[in-house]
Amino acid sequence: MPCFSFDQRFIVAGASHGIGKDVSLLLNEYGASVICIARNEKVLSILKDEAKYPEYIFIEQKDLAHDVEHIPTYIRQLKEKYGKFQGMAFCAGTGEVKPVRAVDLDELRKVFEINFFAPYMMAKAFADKRIHNGWGTSCVFISSVAAIRCDKGQSVYASSKAALSASVKSIARECASLGVRFNCVSPSAINTRLLHTNSPEILEKQAELYPMGVGDVRDVSNLIVYLLSNEAKWITTQNYIIDCGAIL
Amino acid sequence: MTRDEFLIEMQDVLQTEDKLSFDTVLGELSEWDSLAIMSTMAFLDRTFGVKTSMSDYTSMNTIEDIAVKAGI
Repeated sequence: MPCFSFDQRFIVAGASHGIGKDVSLLLNEYGASVICIARNEKVLSILKDEAKYPEYIFIEQKDLAHDVEHIPTYIRQLKEKYGKFQGMAFCAGTGEVKPVRAVDLDELRKVFEINFFAPYMMAKAFADKRIHNGWGTSCVFISSVAAIRCDKGQSVYASSKAALSASVKSIARECASLGVRFNCVSPSAINTRLLHTNSPEILEKQAELYPMGVGDVRDVSNLIVYLLSNEAKWITTQNYIIDCGAIL
Repeated sequence: MTRDEFLIEMQDVLQTEDKLSFDTVLGELSEWDSLAIMSTMAFLDRTFGVKTSMSDYTSMNTIEDIAVKAGI
């Protein structure tokens, strides 16, 4: 079981719902301090109530997609406030199923802003050794199996996630000498709010793909927390598919 | 850009916690590697329109040498 201490501080971006929320709760349960970033402060305070050690959950209300350019500056401000970070999980994301003929450029840009530019700038923030603890620091980004097996209607979502997992590999290599690890996890359909924005027909089709059914958030957050921990100290540059064997 | 502002910018370009001065010897900074050189190249190009190549940096010893290239 991964083990942390409260002087190890982790940033979780997109902490209000789904996988981000669960990663925050799990890190906290294992004894880490968590700085939870999300747009909705009210939802974040519910997370604090659910935490095992609420005094080690710190809430930061911020719309990262709104000011992507200044994410590195923002993270440096957080470092001044809390101290150096042990790692980060980027769990914010967006995306709906839409055929190419229904996609316009503005929407394409908007999805890339949230799914690629924002996590990229977060990775840039963690490439700066002034904000993290050096050796042992770990960052995990959520990509998607859609970036590997692109189905109809996923051109925007899949390409933004593919851009993310490709850039994380390069950044991981650049930062290896600093002792910082960068990895991606690529889940398939997980039982979250985002999944349920799809139509019932799509949900039914999705469920048939998985030999053991659609995954739960805890299935993914367990992997993320492991990658954030020192148990994974020799793992970097990877992109782990977690899809119950749907892709062979 | 003033010389003081230049030092602050270089602090960010090199992402170092050591306090830089114009006398700082580049080779003595643990951050001074090929990625740092590429970041410096991008900074000089973007901010001052000064194009440099990797080989220019072999003859540079201090932060002052970079400032001279920038025309600061």
